[in-house]
Amino acid sequence: MAVSPSIPRSPSTTSSSTVPQKLKEIATQNISTGKGVSHPQIPLQNPDYELAQQLNDDVRHKYIKDRKLGEGTYAVVYLGHLRADSASYVAIKKIKVNAEFKDGLSMDAIREVKYLQELSHPNIIALHDVFTSKDLNLNLVLEYLPGGDLEMLIKDGSIHYGAADVKAWMGMLARSVWYCHENCVLHRDIKPNNLLIASDGEVKLADFGLARSFADPYLNMSHQVITRWYRPPELLYGARQYSGAVDIWSMGMVFAELLLRVPFVAGNTDLDQISKINDAFGTPTEENWPGVTKLPNYVSAEKDRIVPLQGRDFFLRQFPTAGSVGAELLMSMCALDPRKRSTASQILQHNWWFIEPKPTKKEDLPRKPGGVKKMGDDLARRGGELQEGPFHNTVRQLDFTAMK
Amino acid sequence: MAANYWVSTQRRYWLFSREKLAEAREKLKERDNVAYSQLPLPDQRLLNIYFSQQLSKLGKRMSTRQQALATAQIYVKRFYTKKELRHTNPYLILTTAFYLACKMEECPHHIRFVVGEARSLWPDFITPDISKLGECEFALIAEMNSQLIVHHPYRTLSELQSDLSLTSDEVALAWSVINDHYLTDLPLLYAPHVIAVMAIIIAVVFKPSQTSFHGSAAPSLTAAMRDGSTNIFAALGDKGGNAPRIQKLVSWLAESDVDIRAVVECTQELVSLYEIWEQYNEKHCKELLMRMVKNKNLYK
Repeated sequence: MAVSPSIPRSPSTTSSSTVPQKLKEIATQNISTGKGVSHPQIPLQNPDYELAQQLNDDVRHKYIKDRKLGEGTYAVVYLGHLRADSASYVAIKKIKVNAEFKDGLSMDAIREVKYLQELSHPNIIALHDVFTSKDLNLNLVLEYLPGGDLEMLIKDGSIHYGAADVKAWMGMLARSVWYCHENCVLHRDIKPNNLLIASDGEVKLADFGLARSFADPYLNMSHQVITRWYRPPELLYGARQYSGAVDIWSMGMVFAELLLRVPFVAGNTDLDQISKINDAFGTPTEENWPGVTKLPNYVSAEKDRIVPLQGRDFFLRQFPTAGSVGAELLMSMCALDPRKRSTASQILQHNWWFIEPKPTKKEDLPRKPGGVKKMGDDLARRGGELQEGPFHNTVRQLDFTAMK
Repeated sequence: MAANYWVSTQRRYWLFSREKLAEAREKLKERDNVAYSQLPLPDQRLLNIYFSQQLSKLGKRMSTRQQALATAQIYVKRFYTKKELRHTNPYLILTTAFYLACKMEECPHHIRFVVGEARSLWPDFITPDISKLGECEFALIAEMNSQLIVHHPYRTLSELQSDLSLTSDEVALAWSVINDHYLTDLPLLYAPHVIAVMAIIIAVVFKPSQTSFHGSAAPSLTAAMRDGSTNIFAALGDKGGNAPRIQKLVSWLAESDVDIRAVVECTQELVSLYEIWEQYNEKHCKELLMRMVKNKNLYK
C-alpha cells in the first residue's frame, strides 16, 4: 500500500505533531485493509490501531498453540490450550488463505464460520473464538475432542460394541441433525469421520464446510455435495432442489455402517454408487418414486437388473443386530423417494429409542486411544473427501455455476 | 435464512439503542476532530442514503438477489460502527461487503468479476489489483467478529402475507418500504420483524399505487406522508373508521406480542427518511467523499 506524504497540513498543526499524525495515517490506512500488522513500530502510536486490533489480540493471546495435529489441503490443525489454564485444551484450525488473497476466502471457510457462530448444541462442535494471526490467516478455536471419531471405532476390530452403544451414538447424531434442520441448516456431509467424540463420550457433528441454509423455493442448489458413500440417490441423479432428507439418508448410511462395521454401499464412482444402491434397496421407478425419471442424471436400470423395492424382511435379514424395531427405523431413513424418508423429528419420536436395550450412558461408551491425532486429521480435511481408495472421490470444486 | 433470530449474534451483538449507536459514532469521530473541521462530511443520514444507493447500483449491474444486497448493506453499516469512515476507502468497503454477502447468501461471484464491475462503476477508487479486495474481506470479517448471518424483514413479510391477507399491491409496497429502510440506521436499531410490521402498516394505510418490488417506495409515499405523517397513527387509532382492513390489522397487532412502540418509532424514522431524502444531493456527497479519499490516497 502506497503511503502519500501529501497529507493536508493545516496552519494550526505544528510540524512536530505532523509526524505522529502521519504515522497514524499509515497505520490506520493499513488496518483498514488488513495490513497494519506489518509495521511493528507503528501500532503504539495509534489509538485506532489499538482499538481495532486489541480485541483480536486479546483473543489470540487467550490461547497458546502447542503442536500441529494434522494438515489438509485447506487447513492446518493445532492442539492448543488456554493461556490461563493449561489443562483447558482447544483445537485451533488455521484456514490456509492464499498468500496473495487471489481468490478471496473459500466458501468452505465462510460456511464453517457462518454456521458455527450461530449454532450451539451439545452434539455440535463448539466454536469458541475466531481470530486472525500475524500472517493474516483465519484461526477457528474449536472444541477439543480427544475421543477420535466414529470411523475409528467402526474400523477397529478389537473394539466391541453392541446395540445399546449404537443406539446411544445414533441418538446423539439424530439430535444434532434435528437441531440443524430445525434451524434451517443442511449439513450435507454427514459421515463417520465427521462425528467426533468428546472426552466424556459425547458425539459431536463437525465440519460445516459444505453446510448451507435451506434454499428459497425453486432456487437451485449444488448436487455435488456429501461424500459419495453417504450420498442419497436424488443427489446422484442430479437433483438441484432437495431438503433435509439428504442428511437423513447419510444418517441411515452411518446407522447401517455402525451395525455392519463396513460401509453399506461403497461405490467406486458415482454410477457405481447408483447401481449399488439399486441392488441393495431396489430400483427407483415412477411407481415407487414419482418424478424420479425426470431428474437430470437419471439412468434407467437394465431390464435384467431391476430389483423390487426392499421391504422390512430385507432390513431384518441384513441388520439382525438392530432388532425388528431398529430395522424398521433404518428402513424409514433409507427410503429411495426423499419425500417418503422420515424427518429428523419423526426419527427422534420413533419407538426404537424407548424399547430395550436402553442407550448406553455416554461415559460408558467404548473408546479408543489415539483420538487426538484423528481429530487433527478430521478437522484439517476438506468436506466431501474420502481418504482411502485408489480414486480420491473429491466432490469439491469451486464451481460458480453449480454453487447456488 | 438460517438459525434462530432470538439467539442469533445479530440480536445479541448487533442491535444498538439509539444512544449507544450515537455514542459509538461519536467515539470514532473524536480522534479526527481536526479532519472533520477541515473537511466536513455529509450528515450521517445523507451518507446512509448515498452508500445504500451506491451499493444498489453495484448490485443492479450484477443482477444480484435482493437478499444478498440487503446483507451487504448490513455489513457496511456494521463495519462503520467500528471503523471511522475517514480511515477507509468507502468504495472498497462497499465492494467487499457485496462480494462477501454474495458468498454468504450462496450466490457467489468470482472476485475478478466483482472487481471489474466495481471498477467500471467507480473507476477512480477501485484498483484492478484483486488482492486488495481479498485483504479487505479479511478485515471486514475481523471487524464483524466473523458474525456473518443476517436476518432480514423480507421473510416476515412473506410469512405474514397470508395471515393478514395482504394484496399483492400491498406486499409490493411493503417490500419497497423494506428496501428503503436500508437507507437508514433502522437495521441496527430494531429487530427484522418489527421492521416488517412497520412496512405492512405503511402499505395498508397508504393505499398503494404502482410500485415495483425492486424500486423504492419513496415516489408514492413521500407526497402522501407530507400531507400529514400523523395520518398513520390517526388511521390506526380510528376505531370507528370505515376501513375494515386497517381495523383488522389493528386487532392483529393488539393480539400479537410485537413491540408497538418500536413499530411507531420505526415509522417515524422512515417518515423522516423521506423528508431528508428531498435535501439529498448525490453529487454533493460524492464530491465530499472524493476529496476525503483523494486527500489520503486511500484508493491506492
